[in-house]
Amino acid sequence: MWAGLSNYAHALEDDRFTAGFGRVLLFGAVQIPVMIAFATALALLLDAASARWVGFFRTAFFLPYGVPGVIASILWGFLYVPGISPLVEMAHSVGWNVDFLGRGAVLWSIANIVTWQFTGYNMLVLIAQLKAVPGELYEAARIDGASAWQVARHIKLPLIRPALVLTTVFSLIGTLQLFAEPKVLKPLSNSIDSGYTPNLAAYNEAFTSNNQHIAAAEAVLLALVACVLSFGFLRLVGQRGKDGESG
Amino acid sequence: MSDTARNRNTWTHGTSRRAVLGGAAAAAAGFALAGCGSDDDGGDEPKGRKKGEKITLTFWSWVPGIDKPVALWNSKNPEVRVKVEKVSAVDGAQYAKMHAAIKAGNPPDLGQIEYPVVPSFLIDNGLLDLTKYGVADHKDKFIGWQWQQSVFGKAVYAVPQASGPMGLFIRQDLFEKWGIEPPTTWDEYEAAATAIRKKGAWIETFSATNGNRFAGLAWQAGARWFGTEGDTWTVSIDDEPTRKVADYWYGLVRRKLIKTIPDRQNAWYKDVQTGDMASWLGASWGDALLVGNAPKTAGKWRVVPMPQWKKGDAAYANWGGSTTAVFAKTKYPKDALAFAIWLNTDPESIKLLIENGYGTPGAKQGYTTSQLDVHKDFFGGQEYSKVFDEASKGVDTSWKWGPATDTLYQRLGDAFTAAIGNGSDFRSVLKKVQSQTITDLKEKGLQVKAG
Repeated sequence: MWAGLSNYAHALEDDRFTAGFGRVLLFGAVQIPVMIAFATALALLLDAASARWVGFFRTAFFLPYGVPGVIASILWGFLYVPGISPLVEMAHSVGWNVDFLGRGAVLWSIANIVTWQFTGYNMLVLIAQLKAVPGELYEAARIDGASAWQVARHIKLPLIRPALVLTTVFSLIGTLQLFAEPKVLKPLSNSIDSGYTPNLAAYNEAFTSNNQHIAAAEAVLLALVACVLSFGFLRLVGQRGKDGESG
Repeated sequence: MSDTARNRNTWTHGTSRRAVLGGAAAAAAGFALAGCGSDDDGGDEPKGRKKGEKITLTFWSWVPGIDKPVALWNSKNPEVRVKVEKVSAVDGAQYAKMHAAIKAGNPPDLGQIEYPVVPSFLIDNGLLDLTKYGVADHKDKFIGWQWQQSVFGKAVYAVPQASGPMGLFIRQDLFEKWGIEPPTTWDEYEAAATAIRKKGAWIETFSATNGNRFAGLAWQAGARWFGTEGDTWTVSIDDEPTRKVADYWYGLVRRKLIKTIPDRQNAWYKDVQTGDMASWLGASWGDALLVGNAPKTAGKWRVVPMPQWKKGDAAYANWGGSTTAVFAKTKYPKDALAFAIWLNTDPESIKLLIENGYGTPGAKQGYTTSQLDVHKDFFGGQEYSKVFDEASKGVDTSWKWGPATDTLYQRLGDAFTAAIGNGSDFRSVLKKVQSQTITDLKEKGLQVKAG
């Protein structure tokens, strides 16, 4: 039966689904800058001339990426659950009555898992780009008397810009597709509903309610938004890049 | 050869159904009609097994230890081998898989299906109406209300296996220490909750996502969320009994007399182990759950009847329980039904099932209540199954599940999550879920009206 756009209309009328979009956008606006800043800082530190034990730390920072998202969420889930988690216990012992799985906090508890997982990965991409910076530039800077900070600020950062753009776009797409973390934490929390993220909403439509058509419409809408945001972001930084060159 | 035969059979099966029922909408609406199900399956009945032919039936289940009675069956019935395929029961994954298999045209022969979910399989014509194969002869072997759960119109779609009459698990030692009497009414329950709170512990949790138990609470209060009038479903989730239940629990939540953490999760198990939660409104299958997760509290638990709305009443409800259903596409309906009946009525089979803790048998005979007291020591020697047995007799038999229970639970879960989050009362939950459910059913092509 030809349904036209009615499934799309239905999906967009569902405030649970649209609220999920709002939630991941808020998540992205906060978590992506924090994570990229963190990854950049780590990459610069490991690339600094004075860095020691580089191989060890690079591996250590990258290691969480090797843990599958579901497993990571289960691990962190144990650290969030009151009564079991040493973190919660410590917080309570110093008088901080925190509930990591509560209504206000759970989104940021998820952000913490994602940051823990992907900072190392992004760091590695940035380090790869840093390795590609020709040594003569550093040499010239040193001769000119530039400090380590000035080298980072004026040589390294501008030159790893493409990698920064790349990691940001990947993170943007990843954020919109958030699924495993809320799915795993849902049974533990009283604050995650079935449409917490767009992907979770589509999943539940398909496999709980047996509404594959709505689920498909939701998935297409999600892909559209991801597309618009990624290309929008690329355009935005592309424009700025050109302005920078001409100015 | 047999593959071709099977394909042809499948194909004709599908076509005749569509021809008779004329499109998905009609098919969906049609099953609610009295006597429906006798109109499909026209002239393309599966031939069944030839004498002496050896066949294998597949059976999807997740019940731990189900392979034991199946092995017994296989040793006694070499011609009709049953092969258990374990399916995941996490978050309803097993039903998603069954629905997908029905859509793809290759479902198993038999499946484990919980009572609340049986009607959802009528929408995609997934289950076989067993009346043609003489299921009615076995009616008297089963507990009335459990039998009724799978009856739609004149058609019978599944064989009862087990149920979960509800009861109140309490930490006898703590209640005694604190000088609190086990509550027999909901008023007393509230008083107990207040008293326990003063001791720094909690009586229970109200889990937003446990729609199944909330349905049980409404069921006890006399609610009837779903019904049928001719070929129209009536939905009355926002009825008076349910409102009474919703108001009651909202009061407990609002006054912080009860936790709101999800149940049967790590934090909950921890509370049960430490006595931070002094009781649990559970069901007969809960004994194994407590034994398995709080072994150190052995001897301290007792079971008392579910609190009543009016002192002296004996109204109870059911939480959980499942059936053995035969899928519509099976080539050997007679053999599949024979197995389903044997599995759930044969004393030896029931014994094996009980040992693995599958709940309260759906069969009337073939076991004794004392047999069900598997964990007597854990309950300080109490013959606790008598409590559940009594409860089973007091379950309102007129309760019917609707055709989209998983969606209903999800709706309830989302609405309760939101209400607990923003502090709005639980009546708003009922109002919202009532209208959402009507929309959900309409979208499935069913005729619906508010009851």
